[in-house]
Amino acid sequence: MASLSSRPRKRRVSGVSQWELAWRRLKMNKAALAGLVIVGVIGVMALLDQLIALYPPNCNVGTTPNCPNPGPKPDVWAIGIPPSWSFPFGTNLAGQDVYSQIVYGARAAFLVGIGATAIALAIATLIGLVAGYFGGWVDNVLMRLTEVVLVLPFFLILLVFLRILFTLSPGASGGLLVIILVIGAFSWPGPARIIRGEVLRVREFEYVAASRQIGASGFRILFRHLFPNTLHIIIVLSTLQIAGSILTEAAVSFLGFGDPNSITWGRQLADASEAVKQAWWAGLAPGIFITLLVMGFNLLGNGLRDALDPRLRE
Amino acid sequence: MSLIKYLIRRSLYLIPVFLGITLLVFSIERLAGDPVQIATFGNTHITEDQRQRIRQYYGLDKPVYLQYLHWLSELLVLNLGDSFGGGSVSNLVGQGILATLELQLLGLFLSLVIAIPIGIYSAKRRYSVLDVTLSSSALVGTSIPISFMGIAFILIFGYYLNLFPSGGAQSTIQSQYLYGNVILDQLWHLTLPTLVYTFAILAPVVLLVRSSMLEVLRQDYILAARASGLGDRAILYKHALRNALIPIVTYVGLYFGGLLAGAPVTETVFNWPGVGALFVVKTNVLDFPVIQGVVVLITLMTLVANLVTDLTYAYIDPRIRID
Repeated sequence: MASLSSRPRKRRVSGVSQWELAWRRLKMNKAALAGLVIVGVIGVMALLDQLIALYPPNCNVGTTPNCPNPGPKPDVWAIGIPPSWSFPFGTNLAGQDVYSQIVYGARAAFLVGIGATAIALAIATLIGLVAGYFGGWVDNVLMRLTEVVLVLPFFLILLVFLRILFTLSPGASGGLLVIILVIGAFSWPGPARIIRGEVLRVREFEYVAASRQIGASGFRILFRHLFPNTLHIIIVLSTLQIAGSILTEAAVSFLGFGDPNSITWGRQLADASEAVKQAWWAGLAPGIFITLLVMGFNLLGNGLRDALDPRLRE
Repeated sequence: MSLIKYLIRRSLYLIPVFLGITLLVFSIERLAGDPVQIATFGNTHITEDQRQRIRQYYGLDKPVYLQYLHWLSELLVLNLGDSFGGGSVSNLVGQGILATLELQLLGLFLSLVIAIPIGIYSAKRRYSVLDVTLSSSALVGTSIPISFMGIAFILIFGYYLNLFPSGGAQSTIQSQYLYGNVILDQLWHLTLPTLVYTFAILAPVVLLVRSSMLEVLRQDYILAARASGLGDRAILYKHALRNALIPIVTYVGLYFGGLLAGAPVTETVFNWPGVGALFVVKTNVLDFPVIQGVVVLITLMTLVANLVTDLTYAYIDPRIRID
């Protein structure tokens, strides 16, 4: 290949980092890229909500002030209108524009997904690292605790917590926060066991022994060596946990235990299901958006697992 | 002999775990405050005197530790106490259990029977058109909210096509029975919820079997089997499948643990008279005796299911020793 060798080639002096390598592998994976695009588009939607929504939040078109009906008569109620140019996804039986409500609900979906996952994975990482590294009775106590939490039917307990909260303070504005806290507080056992397993593996590597030989403290080994080397698993578990948390919120809201003061896709689906025969489109949009976002995170999580886990490389 | 020793040791170890859980469940309720006060919160028709009488009736005026001990001792003889709404909790749960088991076991059976062959096929013909179609549908299946799927099915098959009833376990009056037969009528009511529920459990199993098979097919012993001239079928079903089934056993084990909880969403969507729907209704009115009873029963079931799962591992995979 004369043409190739005659071309002056730049030699890369610096190596490529593991993250760079993983990103290159991720870019080759079409399904993972599709997941990234879905999550990205809905993420932008959540950030720009006021700008891209057509109507203010919770406005009953034609009745609420500052949200006139775009048709010829501004004060005509727009109840149960099928999808049209003025209402791309139609309106529900309360006269709200489904598209605008979907846009406002995107933020809640990300808040629940990311908030609950941050809590769950923070606990899981701490417990997994400590149990895996120290072993012995520390490991024993932490793993028994993990088993107890794992055995509890967390979805049912979440329902009880929420009903108590909303009974004692019906106007509570922190409903979404409670959902986030409880999902987070009960979702860590699975990830903690996986992270512990990985720590058990990594801790036997020579660089950890070497580090210990030159007098590194346990704290330093934990956060300088073990944590970065389990980070790939934490990232994958996080994306999958985000997907799971969004589905949990949808189920909680569907059963009527959701936060009455936030606009969430789960609640939109629940409200629409009561009048599905009159306005099926009001339930179709939130259902599709929940599925899309959850699928986006699942695709991304699976792609990240393939890209980040060196043992899966063929 | 070691099996019996193992069972005894594991059961002994379950006792403190179970006690810890009962304590946790009991205190979750009590941490929120006086149950009678909470359950009747905002009810202006009830006087303080009546509240006191309710407390006396349910023994809620005694010190908390006595209440816990009393509840625990009654639990040992499977008496879960009385519901705030009247009737014993054991009876209420007992009525729901059959409906729940019917839906759950049928759904689990169907989903395994359908999902395992699909998973095997997908792994065998990786990246073929059918594999890509099947595994992407399974991915959609794991991402779709079950409530959305349930409503869509009711709307399409129940309302527009009018093929199946949209809820309940059987028709209310005898003249509405399908062909006048009560069993056919119940099966007819069972179809839609089972369909939705099967699809919901099926999707993750397909993905699990597929990835687990792919993992196993990469192993050296599969290569060795192939090198020694074994046919594809023998390799796939005799050597690979047995090893690939371990994650499925875990999945089914976890599933059995939660089985009694029913499927709160599915049961509610289809108005199915199971434990899950009962729990949702009773939690809505904060009927604490029912809440405690159901949660404790489910935890007990989960502990037993975990034990059985561990024993199954050892049966499937001789490398896993019980000790």
